[in-house]
Amino acid sequence: MTEVPNSHFTTLKGAYDVELMEATLKVRRYDPATKRARFDVFTVTIPTTATVLDALDEIKETRDGTLSYRKSCRMAVCGSCGMRVDGGAALACKVPMKKFVDAGHTITVSPMGNLPVIKDLVVDMTPFWDKIRAVKPYLDTTDVEVPAKEWLVNPSHGELIHKESLCIMCGCCVSECISMEEDPDFLGPAALAKAYRFVGDSRDSDTRERLRDLNGEHGIWDCTRCYFCNQRCPKNVDPRDAIAKLGAESFKEGFTGDPGAKHAKVFVDSTYKGGYLRETELVPKTIGPINAIKELPFALQLARAGKVPNPLNPHKAKDNEEVKRLWKLLETEAKGQPRRATALHPDAVQEG
Amino acid sequence: MRAAIEAKRAGVDVAIISKLHPTRSHSGSAEGGINAALGNATEDSPESHAFDTAKGSDYLGDQDAIEIMCREAPDDIYELEHMGAIFTRSADGKIAQRPFGAAGAPRTIYSADITGHVLIHVLYEQLIKYDIKVYEEFFATKVVVDNGQCAGVIAWDTQRGGLHAIETNHVILATGGVGRMYYGTTNAYACTGDGMSLAWNAGAPLKDMEFMQFHPTTLKSNGVLITEGCRGEGGYLRNKDGERFMAHDAPNAMELASRDVVSRAEWREIADGRGVDGCVMLDLTHLGWKKIKTRLPGSRELAMDYAGVDPIEQPIPVRPGAHYMMGGIDCDVWGETVVPGLWAAGEVACVSVHGANRLGGNSLMETIVFGRRAGQATAERVLEQGDTGARIEPAVLAEEDRRIAGILNSTEGERPGLLREELAKTMYDKAGVYRTGAVLLECQEKVHELRERSQKLLLDDHGSVFNTDLTEALELHSLLECADCLVTSALPRNESRGAHSRLDFTERDDDHWLKHTLNWNDGGQVRLDYRPVTITKYQPLARSY
Repeated sequence: MTEVPNSHFTTLKGAYDVELMEATLKVRRYDPATKRARFDVFTVTIPTTATVLDALDEIKETRDGTLSYRKSCRMAVCGSCGMRVDGGAALACKVPMKKFVDAGHTITVSPMGNLPVIKDLVVDMTPFWDKIRAVKPYLDTTDVEVPAKEWLVNPSHGELIHKESLCIMCGCCVSECISMEEDPDFLGPAALAKAYRFVGDSRDSDTRERLRDLNGEHGIWDCTRCYFCNQRCPKNVDPRDAIAKLGAESFKEGFTGDPGAKHAKVFVDSTYKGGYLRETELVPKTIGPINAIKELPFALQLARAGKVPNPLNPHKAKDNEEVKRLWKLLETEAKGQPRRATALHPDAVQEG
Repeated sequence: MRAAIEAKRAGVDVAIISKLHPTRSHSGSAEGGINAALGNATEDSPESHAFDTAKGSDYLGDQDAIEIMCREAPDDIYELEHMGAIFTRSADGKIAQRPFGAAGAPRTIYSADITGHVLIHVLYEQLIKYDIKVYEEFFATKVVVDNGQCAGVIAWDTQRGGLHAIETNHVILATGGVGRMYYGTTNAYACTGDGMSLAWNAGAPLKDMEFMQFHPTTLKSNGVLITEGCRGEGGYLRNKDGERFMAHDAPNAMELASRDVVSRAEWREIADGRGVDGCVMLDLTHLGWKKIKTRLPGSRELAMDYAGVDPIEQPIPVRPGAHYMMGGIDCDVWGETVVPGLWAAGEVACVSVHGANRLGGNSLMETIVFGRRAGQATAERVLEQGDTGARIEPAVLAEEDRRIAGILNSTEGERPGLLREELAKTMYDKAGVYRTGAVLLECQEKVHELRERSQKLLLDDHGSVFNTDLTEALELHSLLECADCLVTSALPRNESRGAHSRLDFTERDDDHWLKHTLNWNDGGQVRLDYRPVTITKYQPLARSY
């Protein structure tokens, strides 16, 4: 046994010294026993580096142990702690408290939207996972011969689905989806991003069937393009962009029958023709002339308010040839892209 | 999940019980990669992988197990790829491989810096494909043994409340690590050693629990890991005087010396008063904004979110944090423990392939190889043996119900979270990177005191629905038992080997200590026992890099 002249080595100096601050949070509570909701306000002392999750932990340890929320990795990768901070979904472990404290602002913490609340900040994720399950979320290679070693994949193909592969299934996008508020059966941004992860995978052999299913009821065309999912995703998955890519793929596979697809096509065709969207063509070409007649009273109402442009003399761009040249350029570029990166849909162009 | 998929494919009835949704598990945080000698980058062989692993383990790893892992790893990688795993590719379209610490060839397969995330999701996809039942957010409180045979699990339904007996002849524990017993740790809140505690209380010994790996670059605020890649890209470690202190410890490898060496150097600087607020500084500022933004975007984001520091402008304060438990449930190369019907795989298990020190990229590979093997062996046993007749008797369930109700309704004592913090500080201060016999003895006394105090807990929440006060109390008990095993094992090991670094015994002592420590549960107390290490090809040599 050797002498231990430096036995102080066993302890780290300053390990627990932290700078503290006082923070106030308003937390929505829900008690499943009484089925009553209320707001509680807590003031806690936390380190200046603390996140919303750390603040909740401090509340639980020192103020009220009945507060419930999910947590695990505390580094924005497990997807447990999705909740609303000041009304918008976020990962509690990724939102620093200091900026709110410095601004003298009391944040409001509440559960995610579009999912049933179980207790306090905990929601029932069952509807979320049911939709993930509905898009057949696994690689299908039944129709092709699987190699003995790995599939050879062009590195750029992998990049096509890189953003979708970042998804941690936290539910923040679903929480803010306005389409799902209207139609709870809408597949929604998380499941559709997952779907694109397979549609865009060159190893998958079920592309056409996948797209057929996604073009059905509650599918890709029910997205209203509000972009809240892109805005709220903590991992930059950009689910709306994935939905746009699914739209482009659907066109390529000839799935153009859905009113949503027709709607998108009017945008493409009319901007190509005249550089502008011909709004008067939008409704008949989307839902068909017969159904459009039913919308006439609404159209007349709009016309009286001066909201309908003259259908006989639509706006036309001054230099429409330039618009057409731009389109051709995009199309040529798209052809050079690897499989499934081609962009036909305007939204997908930003991505491509 | 890997074990469940294998068992289901073999045609047996299988279900997963998990206190978290499966994709929330901590494997998802693994960044760097997974090792297999594919030979895609340069020539490589399973033998070379095995040698590196045995040497890295400071010769405490069982070499038969190491050889199995390294030999079977390539096919497991191809299978993951066929399942749909998205790996980073090289220009020829093959799976890319990069160099990692202490490896003889570029052997680490990766998916950018989210390898664990990609793997956990591809396995969950397979659970859906094979329609495997998951008891989500069920907290296992007891493994029941009936007539010497595993009879199943008793678990608390966190979402709805209530205790359930889930009868089965075979249980595979795959519950991960126990980093939360330390104050500074890279581990998730969920890593509380529940599986180790379940096995220990069911009569299976834990093995080599004194070996906890410390990672050298973790954030002070919450322990989050800043990847080794920062140093790989040219980052410096400096003390408060701005000196690159690694020059004293590894003049050649400098900041890229092995994890235990760098952790010890940092600890010494801080303990000797050359740290900054309990940290050393990871300096990336000289790399320039372009390199940081393109090569290390994830680390920059973590530093900004959790340390309030933009590494382009300022160095990041970092320190060593508990990272990986090399020890765990003693089991054979098929995952079987001494309790018939009880199996283990992954970080919770100790086969052992990592010995006294694990190499980066070997932990994910271990979970896949030995997870598959445990699933396969369990299924074969089920098919050949049929029902063993082991049952969870109503009296056993009733007794467990009384125990849980006792905790649930307890109104006097201490808050579980505060006790956990006291334990975590005790372990970090007294059983950390450096250890001495005297300090370990203090640590053991403190752990025993905390175990005593934890018998009386104060819960605020007495409800049955999503009661996280209750789950934290259960986790505290797991942590305390594992901490007791750790410190009790560390105390008599009078040598320095791998992650166990004794200031009073600074040399490795193969004559006395080339052996595994076993921890048995003897009426709630830790009883020690030892077993020789299996050595096949690689005789112990001095470990230098």
